[in-house]
Amino acid sequence: MAPPRTAPTITWAMIVVWLVFASVPLWIEKVGLYQYLGVEILIFAMYALAYNLVLGHAGLPSFGHGAFVGVGAYAVGLAQFNVAANLWICLAVAVGAAAVAGALVALFISHRRGIYYALMTIAFGQIFWFVAIKAHSLTGGEDGLLKIARLPATFGMTTFDLTSNVALYYFVLVVFAAVSFLLWRIVHSPFGRVVKAIKQNETRARFVGYDVWRFKAAILVLSACLSGLAGALFSMAQTSAFPDVMSLHYSGYVVMMTLVGGGLVSFWGPVIGAAAFFLARDIIGAVTTGWMLWFGMSFVVLVLFKPEGIAGIYQSLAQRRAKTAAPVVAPTSQVR
Amino acid sequence: MALFEAKDLHLRFGDRVVLENVSLAFEAGQLSGIMGPNGAGKTTCFNVLTGRYKPDRGQVLWQGEDITGRSPQAIARLGIARSFQLMNLFDEFSVFENIAIALPQTRARSRNMVREAYADAALVDEAHAILKRVGLAERAGDEAKSLPYGARRALEIGVALACRPKLLFLDEPTAGLGSDGRARLAELILKLKGSVTIVIIEHDMEFLFSLADRISVIHWGQVIAKGTPAALKANPWVEASNLGRLN
Amino acid sequence: MSFMNLLPHLLNGLTLGLLFSLIALGFMLILGLMEQINLAHGSLFALGAYFAYALCAARLPLPPDWLAVWAGVPLIWRFAAAVVLAPVLVAPFGLILERLMRRTYGRDPLYGLLLTFGVAMVIEELIRVVWGTPDYMLPVPREISGGFIMLDLIWSAYRFWAAGMAVAAMAVVWVIVERTRFGAMVKAGAHDSEIVQALGIDLTKLRVWVFVLGTMMAAFAGVIMAPLWGIRPHMGVDAVVPAFLIIVLGGVGSFWGAAIGGLLVGMVVGLSAAYASEWSMLSMYLLLLLVVTFRARGLFGKKSVLEV
Repeated sequence: MAPPRTAPTITWAMIVVWLVFASVPLWIEKVGLYQYLGVEILIFAMYALAYNLVLGHAGLPSFGHGAFVGVGAYAVGLAQFNVAANLWICLAVAVGAAAVAGALVALFISHRRGIYYALMTIAFGQIFWFVAIKAHSLTGGEDGLLKIARLPATFGMTTFDLTSNVALYYFVLVVFAAVSFLLWRIVHSPFGRVVKAIKQNETRARFVGYDVWRFKAAILVLSACLSGLAGALFSMAQTSAFPDVMSLHYSGYVVMMTLVGGGLVSFWGPVIGAAAFFLARDIIGAVTTGWMLWFGMSFVVLVLFKPEGIAGIYQSLAQRRAKTAAPVVAPTSQVR
Repeated sequence: MALFEAKDLHLRFGDRVVLENVSLAFEAGQLSGIMGPNGAGKTTCFNVLTGRYKPDRGQVLWQGEDITGRSPQAIARLGIARSFQLMNLFDEFSVFENIAIALPQTRARSRNMVREAYADAALVDEAHAILKRVGLAERAGDEAKSLPYGARRALEIGVALACRPKLLFLDEPTAGLGSDGRARLAELILKLKGSVTIVIIEHDMEFLFSLADRISVIHWGQVIAKGTPAALKANPWVEASNLGRLN
Repeated sequence: MSFMNLLPHLLNGLTLGLLFSLIALGFMLILGLMEQINLAHGSLFALGAYFAYALCAARLPLPPDWLAVWAGVPLIWRFAAAVVLAPVLVAPFGLILERLMRRTYGRDPLYGLLLTFGVAMVIEELIRVVWGTPDYMLPVPREISGGFIMLDLIWSAYRFWAAGMAVAAMAVVWVIVERTRFGAMVKAGAHDSEIVQALGIDLTKLRVWVFVLGTMMAAFAGVIMAPLWGIRPHMGVDAVVPAFLIIVLGGVGSFWGAAIGGLLVGMVVGLSAAYASEWSMLSMYLLLLLVVTFRARGLFGKKSVLEV
C-alpha cells in the first residue's frame, strides 16, 4: 500500500531560500540597494512566517500581532539595561516576555474564531500599543527606547561582533534558518496537523477527542514567541525600540505581507510577501511618496481576485504549464 | 449493567421542551436504533449523549460512571465516537489524513511538535485498514471535498471508526443516499455489528428494522415505545403515530 | 473628587459617547445586512472630516475667483454646507466599496475583513497624498463655538451642539430602521436573506442603500467630530476601533445595544479622564474585556454572524 505523503526533513525549497538569502550581502549594494534592507527583510520574513502559523495554518485572523513584536523589542532592550548585557540572555528574555503576552491574550480569545477573533486581537493589539506609548518610564513613550546595543554573539570560545550590518545580517540569517526549520517541523508534526484539522472543522476535531481550546492557545503562544524573537532582532537592528511596530497599521502590514506572498497556500509565501513589501517600499517609494497607496491597491486586488497571493499565482501558472506540456494520451471521457 | 445509559434527560431551549424524561440503555455488542419523525428530538438527544449540550436534568452513565455534562472531547476520549447527519469532515485533508488525524495514536502524540506526523508504519496500516473497511482504500490520496456524496458518507463513518470506539453513534447515516448506497451501508454496518456497540438514528424504518436488535421510538421529545423490531411492529402506538409512512 | 468637578468630564463623556454611538450604528447597519465587518468605516469617517475642512476653509479645487466668492460666504453657512454636503460627497466612496465587497459575499468573512482593511489603508494613503500629513482644525462658526458659564463652570458650547446633532442623526436613523418599510426590509434581510428574496425585495439594491446610509452616517460623524478631535490621516483608526468595540460590547444586531454601548464607552472614557487623563482611552478596552468575559455575546447580543 502506498505510504502517505510525508514531508522531508530538509526540502530543496528550504535550501534554496537559505542560499539565496546567504548570497544577498554579496550583491545587494551592486543593484543600488543597501545592506540594512536585507536585515529588515529577513527579520520581517521571520515575523511573517511566525504570523502565518496563526493565519494560514490555524485559520485564526490575528490583527494584533504587532503587540508580540513590540514586547520582544522592548524586552530585549530592557533586559540589556537591567538584567545582563548578554545576547543570549536578552533574547531569551524577549522570547519569554512575548510568550507571557501571548498566553495572556490566548486566555481571553482562544474560544473565539473568525471575525470575533480578529476584533478581539485588534483590541488587545491596541491595549499593548497604548501601554507602550503611555508607560514612559518603561518604554520611553513615543520617543522610544534608545541606545540598545548590538551585543556580540558568543559561541563558546569564539565571539562575533554584530555592529556591522553584514555581520548582523548573517546572525539574523542563522536565526531565520533555525526558525524556518522549526516551523517546517511544527507544521508537519502531529501537533501541527491537529491545528490544521481544527482550522477546517472545529466541531469534528472536538468530537474525535481534541481539546480545541488548548491547541488554539498553544499555537498563538508559539507564534507570539517567534514574533517576539523577530521583534528582539528588530530592535537590535534599529538599536532602539519604538511603539509604532505595535500599532494597528504595523499589525496590518504583516497580514498584508503574509497574504500578498501567498501564506494561505504556501509555507514560504510569507517570505516572498515580506520581500515584496520592503522592495515595494524602497523601489516604488523612490519614485513616489505614496507607495503604500500602490501596495494597498495591489493588496485589495489580490484579496478580490487571487487571495492565494504571489505563491498562488506561481502555482497555477506551473499547473497550467504542466497541463499543456503533458500530451493527451487518450480522450478522457471518464469523468471522475 | 448496560454499557451506556441515559436516565430521565430533560432539556429545554428557551420555553420549548426538547427532551422530556428520556431514558435509554444500550447493551454492549448490540445494535440499537433510535427512530422518530423529523424534529422529534433525535439529533438533540445524540448531542446530549455525546456532550454537545448539557441536559437540564438527568444523568448520562458510561459503564456505570456518571459522565453528564462532560465536554465532547472528554467523552470522545472514553471511546465514544459519533458521525454527523450533516457531513462534518476535514475537507482540505486527504481521505487518508481524515482517518489518520482521528486515530488514538495521533491523539497520543498530539503534543509533539517536531516529529513527522504519519511516519509510523503501524499508524498508516491502521488508517488503511479502516479505509478498506469503509470501502475507500482506492481513494486514500484524494482530497475529502472532491469525493462524491456516497463516498463522503462512508468517510464520515470512517472518521468515527478511527477513534477506535467502544460505542459508535451514527446520526442518520442514510441521509441523502439512494437505494444502492443504502444497501452498501447496511452491508458495512452488518460487518461492524458485534465488534462494536452501535447506536443509529434513522427515520428509514425498513433500514433500521433489518439491522437493529432493539429500537427506541422518540416523538415530541419523549420515548414513546421501545423493544425489538418485531415487538414494535405490533405496537399500536407506533402504528398510531404514523411512523410507517414517514419516509 | 466632588460631583461638580466630575460634571464636565461626564459631559465630555456623554458627547463622545453619542458620537461613538453614531459611528457604531452605521458600522452595525452594514454588519447586520452584509454580514461583513467594514474596517474602512473609519476611513469614511475621516473623509467626511477632510471634505468638511475643504468646504469650511474654502480649499477646493475651484477657479480662484469662484473660491473667493465661496470664502466670502459667512462661516456659519459654509459650516452648514459642510454638514450637509460632506456626507453626500463621501457617499460615492461607499458605493465603490460596496461594489468591491460584492465579490466577498458568501465567502469566508475573513476576505471581507481583509478587503476593507486594505481599502482603509488605501483611503488613508489617499488622504496623505491629497492633504499631506499635518493636522488641521475645522473652523467652527462663532455662533456655535465659544464657552459659557453655568454653575460656576465654563462649558464649551460646541460640545452641546455636537451632542445635539448626534442625537438628531440617531433619531433619524431610528425612525428609518424602526418605522419605515425600508427599515423593515433591512431587518428582515439581516435575519434571512432568503425570506427577503421570497418577498420580492431586491437584496442587491437594499445592500447598496444600506451601505450608502452607513457611509453617510460615518461621514456625518466625521464632520461633527472634527472640531473636537482635530483632523489627521489616522483619525479613521481612532474612530473605527471604538466602533467595533461598541458593537462587540453592545451586542450585534441591536439598535439600543449600539446606542447604549456607545454611551457607556463614552462615559467610561470621560470619567476615567477625570482620574487619569493619560490612560483614559485604555478604559474602554478594559470595559470590553470585562463585558465579553462574562457575556460572550455582549450586553444585548443574539447569536450572530460573528460566531461563524
